[in-house]
Amino acid sequence: MTIGLTEYLTVAAIIFVIGTFGIFVNRKNVIIIMMCIELLLLAVNINFVAFATHMGDMAGQIFAMFVLTVAAAEAAVGLAILVVYFRNRGDIAVEDINLMKG
Amino acid sequence: MWMTLQPVLGEIILAITASQFMLLTGLSKSKKRPDLIRLMAVVGLLAFAFVGFVTDRNVTETFGGAFINDDFARYVKLIIGLAGAAAIVLSRNYLRSERLDQYEFSVLLVYAVLGMGIMVSSNDLLTLYIGVEMQALALYVLAAFNRDSLRASEAGLKYFVLGALSSGILLYGASLIYGYSGSLRFDGIALALQGDYGPGLVGGMIFLLCGLAFKISAAPFHMWTPDVYEGAPTPVTGFFAGAPKLAAIALIARVLYEPFGDLAEGWTLALMVFAGLSMVVGALGGLMQTNIKRLMAYSSITNMGYALVPLTAGTLAGVAGMLTFMTIYVVTVIGVFACILQMRIRNGIVEQISDLSGLAETNKGLAITLTVMMVSLIGIPPFAGFWGKWFAFGPAIGAGHYFIVVLALVASVVGAFYYLRIIRLMWFAEANEGFVAAPRIERSFSLVSAVLLLAMGILPFITYPGLNLIRDAASSLFG
Amino acid sequence: MLPVLSFYLISSVAIAAAFMVVASRNPVHSVMFLILTFFSAAGLFVLMGAEFLALLLVMVYVGAVAVLFLFVVMMLDVDFSEMKRGFFSYFPMGGVVAVILLMELIVIGGSYFADSEVTPEPRADGLSNIEAFGNVLFTDYAFFFEASGLILLIAMIGAIVLTLRHRTGVRRQDITKQVSRTRKDGVELVEIESGAGTGE
Repeated sequence: MTIGLTEYLTVAAIIFVIGTFGIFVNRKNVIIIMMCIELLLLAVNINFVAFATHMGDMAGQIFAMFVLTVAAAEAAVGLAILVVYFRNRGDIAVEDINLMKG
Repeated sequence: MWMTLQPVLGEIILAITASQFMLLTGLSKSKKRPDLIRLMAVVGLLAFAFVGFVTDRNVTETFGGAFINDDFARYVKLIIGLAGAAAIVLSRNYLRSERLDQYEFSVLLVYAVLGMGIMVSSNDLLTLYIGVEMQALALYVLAAFNRDSLRASEAGLKYFVLGALSSGILLYGASLIYGYSGSLRFDGIALALQGDYGPGLVGGMIFLLCGLAFKISAAPFHMWTPDVYEGAPTPVTGFFAGAPKLAAIALIARVLYEPFGDLAEGWTLALMVFAGLSMVVGALGGLMQTNIKRLMAYSSITNMGYALVPLTAGTLAGVAGMLTFMTIYVVTVIGVFACILQMRIRNGIVEQISDLSGLAETNKGLAITLTVMMVSLIGIPPFAGFWGKWFAFGPAIGAGHYFIVVLALVASVVGAFYYLRIIRLMWFAEANEGFVAAPRIERSFSLVSAVLLLAMGILPFITYPGLNLIRDAASSLFG
Repeated sequence: MLPVLSFYLISSVAIAAAFMVVASRNPVHSVMFLILTFFSAAGLFVLMGAEFLALLLVMVYVGAVAVLFLFVVMMLDVDFSEMKRGFFSYFPMGGVVAVILLMELIVIGGSYFADSEVTPEPRADGLSNIEAFGNVLFTDYAFFFEASGLILLIAMIGAIVLTLRHRTGVRRQDITKQVSRTRKDGVELVEIESGAGTGE
C-alpha cells in the first residue's frame, strides 16, 4: 500500500477549506484572518510539491519556494498595516469596519 | 546577453531607477529631496513607457520563454507608464498639503508599475504570480499611506485582507493548472489542452479567473472597491482606478486567449457573469452615493463590466475593443481625479458631491472640464467615451452576444443618472463657497484630459495611428 | 509501511492543528497551532522528498513569520474574549459552504489521479534535492530570484514607512558629532580675577 497523489491533494484541499472557512467565521479578529491566509498558502504549497514529486519535475518545488518568499513578505506588510490600524483605532475588530459592506 | 535582456529592458530601467537612484537619493537631507525623487520617477516611468518602441520588436521572449514583450505588452506598458507618471506628478501638491510628502510614496508607486509590467509580460504562471504580488504589495502600502488617518489604514487593511485571499485563490488555481497540464508555461498549458485533459484544468482556470477578477474589482469580487477608494489618499485612488485595472484586464485577456484559448466556451460564460453582475452592481450602487470618490468606485466597477464585454467575443476585434475602451477610460479617470484634487476650500479638502453645487458660477473652467469628463463617461458623441463603448460593444454584437450588450446599454442609461446629477448640480444648483484657486499642475492635467477626450473623438489623425497601434497589439495575441 | 503510517499520522496532526488555528479562543494558542501545522507540513514535504523546502518552511515560517505573528498578538493590547462572539453565529453557514467547497476541490483535484503515486525517487543525475534546487534557481529561474528580492525590498520599505516614527525630542547618539568634537568646542577656559566672582 502506498500513498498516492489523491491523498496529498485531499490533505491540501482540507487545509485550504479550513483556511477559507476560518476567514468567513472569524470576522472579528484580523490576526486570525491573516493566519488563515497563511494556511491557504500552505495548502497551495502542498499541492505544488505533490504534483512536482509526482511528475519528477523541479518547477513545482521552485514555485513553492517563491510562494514561501512572497508569503513572508505579505505577512510583514499585513502586520504593519494591522499595527497602524490598531494605533488609529484601539482595536482590531473587522466586523465593525464592515468587511462586506457594498 | 543583449538578446536576453532586451525584452526586459523597461523593467530593468524601473528597477534600477527605484532601487538605486531613488532610494539612494532618499538618504540625502536636502529640502529638494522629494521633488528630485519625483523627477527621477517620472523620467524612469517615461523611459519604461517608450523603451518598448525603441528596441527590436521581433525579439520578444526571454528567460526561457517565461517573459514575453510582444506588441500587446508594449502597448499596455505605454499606457501604464504614462498613467504612473501622471499619478506621481498629480500627487505632489496633495502630499505637500496633507503633510505626507515622504519620498517612499514615489518609490512604491514605481515598484507597483514594475509589478504591472511583469504582469502584462507574463508567459508563465510563476511570472504571473510574481508580477501580481509585486504590484499588490506596493498598492496595499500606498492605500494605507496616510498612516495617521483611520480611514486610510482601514482601507489598507481591507484591501490587504481581501487581496491576500484573492491571491490565495489564484494560487490554488495555478497549482491545479500546473498539476493537470504538467507545465507552468502558457504554451505548455495550451499544448495540454489539445489532448485529453482532466477536470482540474477547467477548475484551475476558474480559480485563477476569480483571483484576477478581484484585481479588476469585477462583481461579485468588488466589495473592497468603494471603501478603499474612499479611504485611500486621492492621488492613490486615481492611480488605482486606472493603471492596475488595465494591467489586470490585459493579463486576463492574455491568459484566456493564449493558454486557455481552447476552453473558450467555458470562460465566455464566466466572463459574461462577471460583466453582467459588475454592470448591474455598479450602476445601481452608484445612484445613492454622496462622496465623489465612492461614486467613482462604483463607476469603475461598471466600467470594468463594460471592458469585459468585448472579451466575451473571443476575437481579435474583441481584444482591440477592450484596449480602446480601457485607454479612453484611463485618460478619463486621470482627468476626473485631477478635477477632484482641485476640490479644496479654505479649511482643506472636500469630497462630497454637494460641494460641487453651483460650480459653474464660482469656477467655470473646472465646471466645463468636469462636465466634459462626465459627458464622455455617459458616452455621448462626439466625445471619446462614446467611441470607447462603440468599439467595446461592437465585437460582442458580432459574436451574437445580444443579451450582454442590451444589459450594457441599460446599465449605461442607469449610470447616466449619476453623471447627470453631477452636471445638473454644477450648472443649475445654488452656489456654495467657491474652491480656492487650484495649482497649475492639476488644472493643466484636467484640461489636457478634457481636450484629449474631445480630440480622440473627432480628429482622425489622432485616432487612426492609435487604432493601428491597438490593432497590432491585439493581433499579437493571435500569433 | 512506515511512510504510509507516518503520512496518516502527520497529515491528521496537520489538519487538526489547522482547525484549531481557526477555532481556538486565544490568538496566542492560534499561533502555536499554526506553528504545529507548519511543522507537520514540513514532515509531509520530507515524505515527498522535498527536503530543502521542508527546511525552508521551518526556518521561514516558524523562525520568522510565526514569531512576527506572536510579536504582534502580544503587542496589540486587545481584549480577545470579546473577539469570539459571533463565531458560532457564522458557524453553520460557514460549515455548509466549507463542505461544499471541499467536495468540489476533491472532485476536481483528487479523483483524476486515482492510482498515481507520490514516491520520491532518486534523481537520474544523482543530485540531492538541494543541489537540484541550486542548479536551476540561479540559472533558469534567475529572473524570478531577482524579482522576489524586489518583492522583499518592497515589503521592507512598506513596513518601515508605515510603522517607523521619528519622535522629536528623543536624544540619540550621533557618532560623527561625538568624534568630530574637539577640545575647543567642549571646554572653555575662563580666567577669573580673584575676588570678582563669576559675575552672577
